[in-house]
Amino acid sequence: MPNWNSAIKKIDINNVASVNVKHHSELFISEVEPIMKLNVRGKSRDFLSMIGKILNIILPTEANTSTTNEHITALWLSPDEWLLFKNNVTNRGTEETIIEENLYKNISQKKLGSVTNVSDQFVMINIQGQNLYELLSSGCPFNFNDFKNKKGAVSQTLLNHTDVIIYNEEINKINLFVRRSFSAHLWSWMNDSARFI
Amino acid sequence: MFLINCPYCGERDQSEFSAGGEAHIVRPKQPTELSDNQWAEFLFMRKNIKGVQFERWNHSHGCRKWFNMVRDTSNDKIHAVYKMGEKPPIK
Repeated sequence: MPNWNSAIKKIDINNVASVNVKHHSELFISEVEPIMKLNVRGKSRDFLSMIGKILNIILPTEANTSTTNEHITALWLSPDEWLLFKNNVTNRGTEETIIEENLYKNISQKKLGSVTNVSDQFVMINIQGQNLYELLSSGCPFNFNDFKNKKGAVSQTLLNHTDVIIYNEEINKINLFVRRSFSAHLWSWMNDSARFI
Repeated sequence: MFLINCPYCGERDQSEFSAGGEAHIVRPKQPTELSDNQWAEFLFMRKNIKGVQFERWNHSHGCRKWFNMVRDTSNDKIHAVYKMGEKPPIK
């Protein structure tokens, strides 16, 4: 049983498959939860190599990019900050705790950087469809011309006045991270705006 | 509305940024030796000129990094953008 409650809508926690999903004519919007998310911060070379050693992933140092391996994706947020998230939905629990504790022990306690579990702070919403950038552009100042053709691109921007992190997973398929307290509002706005696209 | 070239993220809309006031104000080395007027001068008094001004900005809805900008306040033309700690590329 997942130890998770949707921020967007009350769901049957015994049935993870019933997470919020909305179909529009050219768009498919769904909440992807529960999923592990970690915020890591650090500057030193030791910090970067330690993350690589523990998670088997190289943190991206180029702006607005990401790196991914079999299990985890790392998004560039700023020159010394990254968001890590699991590629697949998993029941929160032992696995997440082991990864977090391992990072905490080897990074936070050794003063190489900081590790924060933001699994409950951010909500991940998946948007797919040919008109997805029309939906985003209706409430976002960011220019998606280059972004939409660059797989793995990352952007932090505003969507309907709400801070979001947008990750281009595939062409016409993005993952959007929004703070939990704003997620229900953004979800409503997206579904409302999608009606006009 | 104008575009700002964040030194970390690239070109973004102004609405993603917050202005942080005048740049390159040096904190006095011995604040205790200053008079109240001198301290108030450092703490509160800022230029608000019409023309080219050195400013601090924060990419608050992006990478959340501070940086400096040389901007003409009369027409919002941006002459230079540079990271904190770097010397202004123009005088």
